[in-house]
Amino acid sequence: MKKLETFGIKPHDASLKNDGQKWSIMEKLLLGLTLDQYIGQALRNKLNWLFAIIFAIGIPVILYRFVFSLGAVTHGSYDYPWGLFLGFGLFCMVPLSASGFMLGTTVEIFGRHDFEPIERLALLNGLLGYFFAVVYLLVDLGQPWRLSYPMVYSFGPAAVLFLVGWHVATYLSVQVMEVSTAFFEWIGFQRGYDFIRKGTIGLTVSGVILSTLHQGALGALFLYAPGKVHPLWYSAPFQWILFFISSIPAGLCMVISVSTIVIYTMKWRCDKRFIDNLDWITIALAKGAAMGLSTYIIMKFIAVAHDNEWAYFFTGWGAWWWFEMLGFVILPLAILSYGIRHKLVGLCRIGAFLTVFGILLNRLNTALIAFNWQLYQEIPHYLEIIIAITIFAIYIATYRFILARLPILYKFRSQAEE
Amino acid sequence: MVNAGKHLMTGLGVLLLSAILAVSCYAMDYPDEVEIDSLANLYEAVVFDHAMHVDATENCSECHHHTTGSGVANDYCAKCHDGKEEMDSVACQDCHSADPVSPENLHNPKPGYSYHNDQPNLKAAYHLNCVGCHQEVDGPTGCEDCHAKTEAGEKFYHSGEFAPKESAHSSGH
Amino acid sequence: MSKITRRKFLAASAAGGTAIMMAPTKKAFAAGSFEGFPDGMGVLVDLTRCVGCRTCEAACNKEQQLPEPAKPFDDYSVFDEIHHGQKRRTTDKAYTIVNRYELKDTEEPLYRKIQCNHCNEPACLTSCFVNAYKKTPEGAVIYDSHVCVGCRNCMIACPFHIPAYTYHSVLNPVIKKCIFCYDTRLKEGKPPACVESCPQQVMTFGKRKDLMKIAHERIKKNPGKYVDHVYGEKEVGGTGWFYISNAPFEEAGFDVHLPKKPIIDNVKDFLAIVPVVLTVWPALFTGFHLLATKGKSHGHGDDHSHDEQGGH
Ligand code: SF4
Ligand code: SF4
Ligand code: SF4
Repeated sequence: MKKLETFGIKPHDASLKNDGQKWSIMEKLLLGLTLDQYIGQALRNKLNWLFAIIFAIGIPVILYRFVFSLGAVTHGSYDYPWGLFLGFGLFCMVPLSASGFMLGTTVEIFGRHDFEPIERLALLNGLLGYFFAVVYLLVDLGQPWRLSYPMVYSFGPAAVLFLVGWHVATYLSVQVMEVSTAFFEWIGFQRGYDFIRKGTIGLTVSGVILSTLHQGALGALFLYAPGKVHPLWYSAPFQWILFFISSIPAGLCMVISVSTIVIYTMKWRCDKRFIDNLDWITIALAKGAAMGLSTYIIMKFIAVAHDNEWAYFFTGWGAWWWFEMLGFVILPLAILSYGIRHKLVGLCRIGAFLTVFGILLNRLNTALIAFNWQLYQEIPHYLEIIIAITIFAIYIATYRFILARLPILYKFRSQAEE
Repeated sequence: MVNAGKHLMTGLGVLLLSAILAVSCYAMDYPDEVEIDSLANLYEAVVFDHAMHVDATENCSECHHHTTGSGVANDYCAKCHDGKEEMDSVACQDCHSADPVSPENLHNPKPGYSYHNDQPNLKAAYHLNCVGCHQEVDGPTGCEDCHAKTEAGEKFYHSGEFAPKESAHSSGH
Repeated sequence: MSKITRRKFLAASAAGGTAIMMAPTKKAFAAGSFEGFPDGMGVLVDLTRCVGCRTCEAACNKEQQLPEPAKPFDDYSVFDEIHHGQKRRTTDKAYTIVNRYELKDTEEPLYRKIQCNHCNEPACLTSCFVNAYKKTPEGAVIYDSHVCVGCRNCMIACPFHIPAYTYHSVLNPVIKKCIFCYDTRLKEGKPPACVESCPQQVMTFGKRKDLMKIAHERIKKNPGKYVDHVYGEKEVGGTGWFYISNAPFEEAGFDVHLPKKPIIDNVKDFLAIVPVVLTVWPALFTGFHLLATKGKSHGHGDDHSHDEQGGH
C-alpha cells in the first residue's frame, strides 16, 4: 500500500469519486484500486503469505474435525471437557471484546463525543470478538446444528450457560446493528443508517446490560466446579465480579493494542482525525484501564482474604498465581500509570499489550491450567492447537478486511469536510 | 488377592442348600456334602464339603448364628439369644431370602423379628460368610476356586472364548 | 417449602434474563425446577463388603447394552491401570467401574464401585442449558440425549467426574452416564442390574430415607468396623447412592472437601443479581445519558451532517 501511495494512488475514502460519480461495489471492494494494483499489493504483503500457510494447513484440519468427529482432533478428555476452543476461544475472546459496550457507553450515554474517532473501532472489535467466540463454540459443540435449541426448543433457565447463550446471541445482534451503520454508510444506504442511528441509545443501554451479565456469567460458569478450579482462581461470591471487572481493562487494552497495530501497519487507511486524536485517546483509555486494573487487584485480594486462602501462596500454585498477578496485572498497571502521568503513549501501549496477555493468562488458568489441579495437566492435542490458531488467523484476516474497507478508521470525506 | 471374590452371579434362582442342612449339627447329624446347584446359569454347582467345615470350625454358630443350639458367636445376636436352644430353621435359605433385593430384606421379615432387619439376601449370606472367613484363614477366595464358569458365564464376563479380540487396548480414555 | 421457593426463585431470576428480551414460553420456566423427591429410591454402598470381582461392571455392560470391553470383566489387571496418573473412571463405554485402593493401616485393599450418585440436587441437571437432565420421582437422574447440544457443561459441573461424552461419534455425539437402570428396571420398581448381580450385596436397594437409617444402624451395630460417616448423606446436598466404609474416605479416593450444600447454591449469588441488573441498569444508564447530555443537543453531531447530506 505504501508503495502505491508513493505513486500518488489514493485508496477509496469517499462516497463519491473525485469526478462526482458513485463508486461501484466492486470498486469499493478493491479499495478503489485496479485489479492488478490490488493483487500486486496483496502479494507484496508478507502477512498474506503467513495466512496462506496457516489456512492451507488449518482449514483441512477444521474440515477433518467435522468429518471425523471431535474425538479425532482433541484428546476427547472426560476430565477436561473444555479445551482450547472454549478456554481460549470463548473465555478469552469475550472479555477482550468488551470494548464495544464501554466506548458505546462513553460516547452515546455519557455524551463524550470527543471519543468518537475510536468508537467504531471499539464496536467492530466487540462484534468480531463475539462473532469468532461463537465460531470457536461451533467448532467445539458436539452437535453445533443444535445451537438454537436453548433458544427455541428446550430451555434450561436455571443454568448459567443458558444466560450466556441468550445474552451472547442477543448482544451479537445488537452489535451487528451498531456496526451496521458503518456498513450502510459504505454501501451508501442512507435510510438504513438513519434508522439504526435513531435507536442508538436503546442499543447501547441493552449492550451494557447484556455485557455486565454475561461477562460475569462466564465467571459464574466455573462456580459449578468448586474443588476442580484451584481455590486461588475460584471464589464463590466474587467470581462473576472478578470476571466482569477484568473485562473492562481487557476490552480497553484490546482497543489500544489494535489501534497500535493499525497505526503502524495500516496508516494509509486512517484519516487525519483518527491519527491526530489517537494519542490522547490512547492515554484516556489507558486511564480507564488503569482504574479497572486497580479495582481488579483489590477484588482479587479480597477474594483470597474472604476464603482465607493465604496458605496457598506458599505452594507452587501460589507462585504461578503471583506470576500472573505481578507480571500481567500489577506490572502493566505500574507501566500504565507511569505512562499516563508522563503522557507517554508508547508506555501506555506496552502496558496495554501486557494487560491483554494477563487476561489471556487468567482465563486460560481458570479454564485449563488451574482446572482439575488435583488431577493432572491436560496438554491439548496438536490438531486442536492448529484449529485454534487457524480460527484466530481468520479472525485477524476478517478484521483487516473490514478495517481496510468500511469507514471505521476514517470518515467518508464528504462528511468529514462538512 | 485380586480375585478375592469372583463369585456367584446374577439371575440365580433359589440356592438349594438342601433341606438336610436343617438337621441339627449339635446332634452331629449333618450332611457331609451339600450340593448348591441352582447356579445353572453363570457358574456350575458347588459341592460344599460340609464335613470338612465342621471339622475346621470350632462351633456351628460361626456360620449358623444362634440356631443350632451350640452357642452364639456374634455379640449383637447374643443380646437376645443365648444359643442354648435349637431352632426349627437351621438352613440358610429359611431366613435369607433368595430374592436378590427385596424390601423384606430391609425390614424385619416376620412380625416379632424386629432385630432381624437389614439381612443380606441368600447369595450374599453365603458369600459374605464364606469369603469373610476364607480371607482370615487363607482359604480359597477366587470365584473359580469354588465354582467353575459356565459358557453363559464366560459370555457374561466377556472372558474365555468370548474374550475381546484386542485386549491390549486399554479401557480408560 | 422454603427450599422449593428458593429454587423457583433461582429459576425465575435466571429466566428473567431472557424474559425482558424475548420471553420463551411459560412452561420453560417451570422446567428449571428440580425438587428432591422424598420417596425417591437410593442405594447404600457398603465398601467393607466389596471384593473387587467386577461382576457389577459386567452386569451394567449387559443391561445397558454397552460396547464390548477392552478387557474381560474377570481380568483384574485393570486395577493396576493408570491414566494420566489417575485410576480408572467412568467412560461412555462403562457407566460403572470398580477401583482398588491400598489402605494405610491394613494389608487388605479396599475396592470401590464408581457410578453416578444420583444427587438430590444434581449439578449436572442445574448446569444444563437445554434442560436435558431430569431427576425422576423414583430417584434416578436421567438424561434426554435428543436435545443435547454437546456443550459438556455437565461434565464440568459434576463433582464426581461421572458424565462422559462420545467424542468419537460424528453425527450424534451425546453424554453417557449411569441412569440407575431407569428405563429397564427402576421404573418398574426393580433394582438396578449391578445391584442385583453383586455376590456380596455390597449395594442395598431401597427408599433413600430407609437406607439412611440402615446405614447409621450398621455403623452403630458394629463398633470399630466403620468410620462414623455416611458419605453422600450431606455431600453436595445429599446423593441417592451413598457409602459407608471401614477406611477414611479420602483413602478410598473420595473427595472429602466437597461442600455440604448443593452445587447450585454457589451460583445463587450470581443468579440473584440478574434481575437487579435487568431492572436497574436501563433506568440508571438512561439517567446518566440525560444528565451527561443536559444542556447539549440530544442528537448526535454527525446526525445533523447526515440530514443535510441527505439531499445529495
Ligand atoms: S453424580 Fe454427577 S452425573 Fe450423577 S447426578 Fe450427581 S452431578 Fe449428576
Ligand atoms: S444402575 Fe444400571 S446403569 Fe447404573 S451402574 Fe448400575 S447397572 Fe449400570
Ligand atoms: S459385584 Fe459387588 S463385590 Fe463385585 S466388584 Fe461389584 S460391588 Fe464389588
